[in-house]
Amino acid sequence: MTPRSRLVLLALAALILVPAIVRIALVLPGFGAPTALYGQTVNALLPDLRHVTNMVAAVNFDVRGIDTLGEEFMLLCAVTGATVLLRGARGERGNLRAGHISGRPVLARADATTLVCRIAASVTMLFGISVALHGMTTPGGGFQGGVIAASGLLLLYLGEGYAVWRALMRGPILALLEGGGALLFVLCAAGPLVAGRPALENVLPLGDLKDLYSGGLMVGVNAAVALAVAGGFGLLLLEFMEETRVPADDPAPEEAEP
Amino acid sequence: MSPDAILPVAVLLPLGVAALLLGLAHWLPTQLPKLVAIVTALAVCGLCILLIRQSLDGPVIHWFGGWTPDASHRPDVVLGIGFQADPASAALAAFCAFLFGAAFVFAWGYFDAEHAHFHVLMLLFLAAMVGFCLTRDLFNLFVWFELMSVAAFALTAYPLGRSALEGAFHFTVTHALASFLMLAGTGLLYAGTSTLDFAAMGLIVARLGSDPVLTGGFVLVASALLTKAAILPFHLWLADAHAVAPSPVSVIFSGAMVSLGLFGLAKLVAQVFPADPHVMGLVHGLLLWLGLGTALVGGLMAYAQRHLKRMLAFSTVAHLGIMLSALAAGTGTGTAGFLLYAIGHGLVKGALFMLTGILLAQRRSADEIVLYRQGPGLWAPGLAMIAGGLLLGGLPLGLMHGATHLMHDSAALPVTLVVTVATALTGAAVLRAASRIFLGWSGAPGPELLAPTEREHEKPDRPIWLMALPPLVLLTITLTPFEAVAPVLGAAAARLSQPDAMPLPLPPMRRECPVALLLTGLLFLFAHLRRRPLTSSARALVRVERWSFGALQALHSGLIGDYVTWMIVGLAVFAAARIG
Amino acid sequence: MSLLPWFVAAWLFAVGLYGIVTSRHCVHLIGCLTVCQSATYVLLLGLGFVRGAGPPVFYDHPPGMPAVDPVVQALVLTDIVVGAAVSALLLAIAIQVQRRRCTLDPQALRPLRPSKRTAE
Repeated sequence: MTPRSRLVLLALAALILVPAIVRIALVLPGFGAPTALYGQTVNALLPDLRHVTNMVAAVNFDVRGIDTLGEEFMLLCAVTGATVLLRGARGERGNLRAGHISGRPVLARADATTLVCRIAASVTMLFGISVALHGMTTPGGGFQGGVIAASGLLLLYLGEGYAVWRALMRGPILALLEGGGALLFVLCAAGPLVAGRPALENVLPLGDLKDLYSGGLMVGVNAAVALAVAGGFGLLLLEFMEETRVPADDPAPEEAEP
Repeated sequence: MSPDAILPVAVLLPLGVAALLLGLAHWLPTQLPKLVAIVTALAVCGLCILLIRQSLDGPVIHWFGGWTPDASHRPDVVLGIGFQADPASAALAAFCAFLFGAAFVFAWGYFDAEHAHFHVLMLLFLAAMVGFCLTRDLFNLFVWFELMSVAAFALTAYPLGRSALEGAFHFTVTHALASFLMLAGTGLLYAGTSTLDFAAMGLIVARLGSDPVLTGGFVLVASALLTKAAILPFHLWLADAHAVAPSPVSVIFSGAMVSLGLFGLAKLVAQVFPADPHVMGLVHGLLLWLGLGTALVGGLMAYAQRHLKRMLAFSTVAHLGIMLSALAAGTGTGTAGFLLYAIGHGLVKGALFMLTGILLAQRRSADEIVLYRQGPGLWAPGLAMIAGGLLLGGLPLGLMHGATHLMHDSAALPVTLVVTVATALTGAAVLRAASRIFLGWSGAPGPELLAPTEREHEKPDRPIWLMALPPLVLLTITLTPFEAVAPVLGAAAARLSQPDAMPLPLPPMRRECPVALLLTGLLFLFAHLRRRPLTSSARALVRVERWSFGALQALHSGLIGDYVTWMIVGLAVFAAARIG
Repeated sequence: MSLLPWFVAAWLFAVGLYGIVTSRHCVHLIGCLTVCQSATYVLLLGLGFVRGAGPPVFYDHPPGMPAVDPVVQALVLTDIVVGAAVSALLLAIAIQVQRRRCTLDPQALRPLRPSKRTAE
């Protein structure tokens, strides 16, 4: 079908779908009226039951923790898939020479860039760790903190250049971080089972409200998620950055050995 | 450990093993991940068989985090996520795990250079399937649905060939859209019922009666599940994806993954919506028509293919349509037939994909016309392929025959007619291919000559007995007589909706004329005796046939824009059926 | 207007769909998929909003104050991770397709069919 005939079909479908959408919108409770009792119950009960103040983290890591486990492994799966796809054609040995688009000038890196990026990368990674640690009390948590820490790694590349960055970022270490985080989450879920309790039940001491340590097992789950997300996004950055390198089978100009 | 601890372990075990394999991938010896994967799959299968036995006494329920329904101190609100094993869920989970074990054995020599990544992806796929079968929470269902999908996307693109990448791209985009629809549907159902647990939602739906929000939520979630289950017009992705994925992965796709989409729909309809008249009207009306349409289109397209994997993929589409028509009948016998058919078809289709993999490895092609007379030397795969074709085409033996008997028992005559025709088309297609390849019998090529095809091969030097053993085992299990499984099947069908129901008494097998097998034989003979058209009337007939099959092939164009358009047209069909 | 968020969600989805159906570049198609996903964010978060209520984080104000629904926010967080995962995978596939076909035009990508030499 040509794009025009597709649009004609879509327009006909829209003729039927728009009245249905309007009908549903009219029946839904208006925007701003509380809809579900589930959320209100969580807001009412969880601060006392688990001594945490961040309700979203409570839902993510405790009440619906098994959803977060599945989603964590989905991220792991996607990173593994992207790794396989990108590494499979390229091979694992990277080349240190950057890909070059002919006609574009190659500029040297300024010292100011390196300094600013070093400061910014350190601050970003510390901020990411802080966001992850305070997940039980203020908005944040493992996901957000892990992603911020991983973006700090990208700042490191900007400041140091590819050679230093690649020496720091080791694929196996990142994979270990990612797998270790995921395994920690599974152990948090399976640990209570060994003791005869339901899986993922909060068996650790709960701590105090508004404290850094609060929520019991949620702290472990939070740490696991942060590790896994940081490792996963780091691996993704590594694999995508490798794509900017010249393929290893291109003859290097220095190779003149007999 | 309490007895219901098996439920989380069945999901946590493959997840933990996958995480371990991934973390230590750089340092492990090459053979270890394969062994570990086979052992894990068989362990999960054993756990699920234990679950079947336990669930025959009553449903086994596990609430994660200790969040039982009374933890909220409010009557309607269920805070936590539960896993529930009734005989049907546990049986499907056990079947998936067993199919994974067979696929791992089949794929023993397939991938060598990768650091265990194939096994990591497959174990995550297995964990997601088991979780999908066992869960009783709607958003948890979505999470396992997504994990299944992401693992499938990565596995489809694994060969890194041109078609594999394009097929994976279409697969991913189609399913990503389906997952957005499912999320929107979950949101609507959450707004309508204030809960995400199936049983609690069922009680609230019974109180509310019909509601446009509930119907809209059902339509959106059902569209996503029907996309996974490749029902017209959401089925266009399947042939492209299954034809290009590596053979061990196609086994899982056609054997288990697509049937799980229909199983999810069955659970939703049985546990959440039985008291909603509008939704049940859609199920008994529109879904029945969609199932029959899918069966016919799938059968015709399968008959007109020459690439074996693409033919088997369209045959899967046809059989999924047959399963949906049984499900949409709404009777207990129909549901029992659907469950048994899912398992029987999965076993046969898995075996057939493995046989195609053997041909790809040993003869370097999967095209039946290129492989003409290349078969001699592979007598065991040849016999197995003929047996598989006969089983698909209605051989009166084994699980598939029992399932078909249950389906026909509760269906009207026109439905039975369409189902028989579709069955015959798919069986005849496989028999035609098998006779061309292994027996050297062939008529003039018909509509399959113009079908899409590609040169490909798979890694050749794998031990043939290791490759041939799993399909033979699968086909042998398919020949289990119906009477052996009837008691468990009755309990499974009844307890899908009511966890404490009495087992359904199933109608006993009758001796009757194997119409489907006769029709299969007829179509096979027609293909075999076909000659080039000499008279003008014959040429006109061939022109009409070529034009009509060509139009059908053109609809399956391979362009992602077309696929997305047809998905939205499908949504509009649902909306129109609701208005009308 | 209390119906606006639902229409915004539907409109976003329609715009994303239009982009996917008429796309001539795979990376543009992936971006349009992200637009479709934003529609689900708007719908879910709109369902959870309560007028005059604060965020569901009781650090500054005590528990018991009216707050919006945290469950849909948790669902959206999961949704964001799903979106990131699928986008990463699609972009990796796109890179490999570009390597092999030297084109990223969805109109030219048809699995198992021979590639046409001329542009469609």
